[in-house]
Parts: sequence; C-alpha cells; structure tokens
Amino acid sequence: MQLTLFNLSWEQRRKLTGLLFVMPTVAFVTIFFIIPLLMTIFMSFHDWPLFGERAFAGLENYQELSKDRQYLKSLDFTFRYTALVTPPIFILGFILASLVRHNIRYIGIFRTIFFLPVVIGLGVSSLLWVWMLDDRIGVFNKILLDLNLVPKAQLFLGRPNTAMNVIILSVVWKTVGFTMILLLAGLQAIPDELYESAEVDGAGYFRKLIYITLPLMRRFIALALILSVIGSVLSFDQFYIMTRGGPRNSTISIVFWIFNNSFTYFKMGYGAAMSIVLLGILVALTGLQLYVLRERE
Amino acid sequence: MISRKTLLLAVVFVLVLGSLPLAAQDDQINMTMWVRSIPFQTQAMVDEWNANNDSQIELTVIPSGEFVTKMGAAIAAGEPPDIASIDLIYTPAFAAAGQLVDITDYVKALPYAETLTPAHMELGMYEGRNYAVPTGVDGSFIVYNIDLFEQAGLDPDNPPSTWDEMLEAMRAIDALGDDIYGYWFSMNCAGCNAFTFLPFIWASGGDVLSNDYSEATITSDPIVRDALAFYNTIWEEGLVPEGASIDNGSNFVSAFGAGNIGMSGTGNFAIAGYTNDFPDLNFGVFHIPGQEGGAASFGGGDVIAIASGSEHVEEAWRFIEWTMSDEAQIEIYAANGQIPVRLELVDNPYFEGDERQLTAASALAVGHTPYTTVYNDLFNDPNGPWLEMLQVAILDGDIDGALELGQERFTQIMGG
Repeated sequence: MQLTLFNLSWEQRRKLTGLLFVMPTVAFVTIFFIIPLLMTIFMSFHDWPLFGERAFAGLENYQELSKDRQYLKSLDFTFRYTALVTPPIFILGFILASLVRHNIRYIGIFRTIFFLPVVIGLGVSSLLWVWMLDDRIGVFNKILLDLNLVPKAQLFLGRPNTAMNVIILSVVWKTVGFTMILLLAGLQAIPDELYESAEVDGAGYFRKLIYITLPLMRRFIALALILSVIGSVLSFDQFYIMTRGGPRNSTISIVFWIFNNSFTYFKMGYGAAMSIVLLGILVALTGLQLYVLRERE
Repeated sequence: MISRKTLLLAVVFVLVLGSLPLAAQDDQINMTMWVRSIPFQTQAMVDEWNANNDSQIELTVIPSGEFVTKMGAAIAAGEPPDIASIDLIYTPAFAAAGQLVDITDYVKALPYAETLTPAHMELGMYEGRNYAVPTGVDGSFIVYNIDLFEQAGLDPDNPPSTWDEMLEAMRAIDALGDDIYGYWFSMNCAGCNAFTFLPFIWASGGDVLSNDYSEATITSDPIVRDALAFYNTIWEEGLVPEGASIDNGSNFVSAFGAGNIGMSGTGNFAIAGYTNDFPDLNFGVFHIPGQEGGAASFGGGDVIAIASGSEHVEEAWRFIEWTMSDEAQIEIYAANGQIPVRLELVDNPYFEGDERQLTAASALAVGHTPYTTVYNDLFNDPNGPWLEMLQVAILDGDIDGALELGQERFTQIMGG
C-alpha cells in the first residue's frame, strides 16, 4: 500500500501530527535518559574499570553492596540528612510564601531577596559558606566571639555533629526560595472567596489553614515535597565541597560514594550497581509520597 | 566607493592570509604535559625547553588530590596528555592498566640508568618493564626551629632521636608560651601523613602492609598501635594547634614557616620555600626516628611517563631525556634547591656545605615506598581508610576501634 499524506484520512493525519510534535521529546528522553539508563544497567553486571579490560560479573556487584560498610553508612547518612533538612525547608518555605503572598507594593523586592540564593550555584554557595564558617576569617565566628557567646573560634566543619547542622543551615538558605515559589503558586491559586465565606462562618487562621489552604494546595505540596526529597537524596556538591566527606567520613552521601567508587577507585560497574539500587529506592519513595498525597475523590 | 564584492574579496583575502601561518604551524610538534600541584622544577624545565626547541610543551597543573581522578577521566575519554609527571606511588596502577608507554629500550640506552634514584625506578616498573623515570625526588624528614630549641634549653645540635625525646622537646617548646606549639601535623590530609607518619612506623621496624604488599598488618603489628598512641599523646596534650586537626594540607608547609612551631614532618620540596618565603626562620632538619632510634623516610616525589596514545612518543622522550641531563639537573634542579634525580649529582657546587640539603638527600638512602596498585584507595583518598584510621585513633583517642576499622577496610580494598 502506498502511504502518502494525500490519501490519509483526517483522523490519521491528526495522529501523525501529534506524533511529530512529541518526537523531539521522545528523542531527547531516549538519548539522555533511556539509553544511559540501559547502559548503566548493563554496566552494573560487569567488572568495569574506568580504563582497561572489562569482564562480565553477573550479580557480583550487587552482592558486594551488602558487605560495603561505607555504602550502608552512606545510605543511613543520606536518609538522616533528608529527614532533617526537609521539614525546615518546608516550614520556612511556607512561612515565606505566606509573607509574600499578596500583591502589595514593593513585594517583588522581598520575593527577589528570598529567591536570590536559589539562582547561584550550589557549588558557589557551598564555597561561600566554607569561608563564612572559617575559624580564622569567618563572619560567624567573628559575631559569636564579639558577643561572647563562645570562648574561642569554633571549627564548625571539623566536628561531626556541627558539620551536619551547618550544612543543613546552608542548604536551607540556598533552597528555601524555590520551595517558597512553588508553594506561592499554590497559595495564589486558591480563590479569595473561599477565605471570605469561611470568615463569615467564623473560621480563624488555623481553621482556614487546615480546611482550606492545605487541602487545596495538595498538588503543589506534593510537587515541592517530591522535588525536595529527590534533591536531598541525590545531594553531593555541599558535602564534596564543604567537608570532603569528613570529619571521620561522617558526611559521605550516597551519590558521593558512587562518585568515589566510579571515578576515584575506577570501579564503574560497582558505581553503576549502586546507582541502580538508588534509583529503585527513589522510585519507591516517590511512589509512596504520591500515594500519601493523592487526590481523594 | 568600494563595491560590496570588492569588500567581500578583501575579507576573503585577509582570512586566507591570516590562516597561512597557522597552516604552516601544523608541522610543529605541540605536546601537552600534566603535573600535580607540587611541581618540582617542572615549570622552569618546560620554559627552558620551549625557549630552545622547535617542539612546544603546554603545561597544566592539576591539584594533587584530583590528579588520579582527572588523569583517569582523561584516559577514559581518549584525551590523555602526552607527558605526565605522576606521583610515583600511582605508577603501578597506571602501568598495570596499560596506560603508559613501555620505555624499557630508551632507559637501557641511558649511560646513567644505574644511578637514577632506585625507589622511583622500582615504582616505574611493572612486570619487568620500565614505564617511567624519576623527575622529582623527595624524602620525608623533620624540620625543627633552632631558635625555639635554644629558648627551651634544648641542644639544637643534638635533635631528638627517639619518640620520647621528641615528646620531651615538644613539651619544653610548648611551655614557652600560649601561641607556641611543639609540633604540627595536618590531620585532615591523607597524603601528608602517609609521607610523614608512616616513616615513624618503618623506622621502628613495623609496617601497615606485609613485605609482599599482599595483606594489611595493622592489627597484627604492635608498632602501628604504638605509633598511633605517640601521635595521640601529642594531640591530647595540646602540643599542636587545634586547627591542625582540620587542616587538609593547605598549611602542611606554611604552618612551620610562621615560626611558632617547634617541629614538623616535611619533605625536600619545602626547604626552598622556607628559605625564600621565611628568611628569618632559623631551622635544621633531622631524620624521622623510630620508637627507640633508627631512621626512615618516605621515598616520595614524581616520575615522568608518556601516556599511551601519544602521537609524539619520540619527541616526548627527547624532552624527558633532557630533563635528566647534567645541564638540567645541576643548573635547574640543584640551583633551585631541588635534589637531582641522579645520585652522583648530589655532590654539586650548589649543595656544597649546605647541611640541610645533604641531610635531606641522605634521607633517600633510608627511603621506602609502598608498591601497590591500590595506593590511592588505601592511603591518599581523603575518604580512604588511612586518614579515617588516623583521625579516629589520634583525635578521638579510640585506638582499638581505629585499628580494627583500618584492618577491615584495608583488607577489603586489597582483596579487590
């Protein structure tokens, strides 16, 4: 059968047009996601050095994972970090969004200020914090010393407990603006009439928050939460730059450990296996969040 | 008025003319060279070479801690430099992976092949073939501040020769004032402590690896525990500044230069720096002692190799051979306080009468370098077991935990 544009029915043409429109996206996703993903899966079944000969290894890389003390430590650290960093980002993001919600004069200045740290790179912001936290030239120690709050300069990044806390502080500063914007969009999508009628019925701030604001923002909260959790689980830059995984290897996130194995120890196959396991964990985690935050009919 | 066509022609003409010299340069050999950020006299060498030769070398300095990662990535991407100045301890790993050019025949033809520093030649070999020759040799030793020794009533002509004597000297110097400390170590720098702490163990007859480098002996060799306890005492008694615990090596050399530190482990690369940057610093050097005496040194430094895939092997070797010539070794190396890579050239006019240089050079005689393809993973990696073991034992005081952890992670890495 000869297939030309002219003897196609209207319905067929419509489908063809649709196909052409999605082709660029399909090509993009195939080249930059599907193929690398398949390659990673393929690599994870091999002993694959960064250079030199590679050999089929079956499930060896996956079996190795259960014996890798640092891998388990990194998983534990990453999820502890995610659990600690997510609530402050959310609560602060929500408070900031509520503050800049209404379109009043000059409000743009505040929205810009709160959003500004998001625009600079995480690598740059991490370096900035390293200097601000320095024991000799850092501004934090200067303030604490001048106010007599500490007897001597603190090595914030040199102690396991304070290192985690100051990194969380820096990440909240860096990312809260993004959560704010997402939640702001959700807040502004709620019609004022709902609040007005609730006020007529005598609802206070918290009743409005629980019965109007939060339910109607469910989709935006889900989006912000999923993006924030994925970002935290995949975090790397802040630990690589601010602590190099120290002190005592207490801040090696899971992506950091994958990077080390793949590019410092040259064990690409092992790194690939870890990535696949991490992908599985993330898919499960995201599914769970979507289920909890689903729209109930 | 000039027509559009004339203008176009003129532009084409200029472009063609402009590209002519570029086309002519295609015959010229341009080579790339990488060196880590403790460049011995590499920049001076390359400048001298470029000034006197048709072939040109473009030198790139890579941060030391990143060298293996960057080199590995460049090789994997098929874009390695022609020439690489590599920390000697990494040579077995690169040679084993087939990433370096076999230069055995070139080396055999050298009249002075026998006098090239043995540790570097040994590390440059893999399965009986040569892959690299020395380009920067450096043994570790201890520098001490003569003025502080005198102030503390110590005899600067008889520096400590056991761990106890070192501790006593540190305590005496530390007592001189709040801002004066007995010792310095960079306890967040893995490589610095392989270089300056391992020799304490070796000088006492111990080691963290078995003789054939096949297994870890951290828990089985009691000297390792004693050495960790020695450093732990230094930390516990506050004989080092608190900042030493988080120093990633950026103050490895400069801390001692400030003049308020009694002693510090270091290497030859630092001597020229102290002499030039801290002219008032009155210092001497002594060998790293064992528990009850003896001496040891980490035979460190760089070797130079040609990367597989280089299109200019012949010319690259010509450069490498020149860097080992009398002219380069004496007029560039020795003249700048750098130990020559050929032992017979240590006796040179520039080193005559300089006790410090001669002591430093003699450290090479007691120099030792571990031969293992996983050196980086074991010792130099900032997240590796070596540094973690040191920090847990020395800073946290948990020596038993540290030994166990070190043994377990060493064994895991060495097992593949």
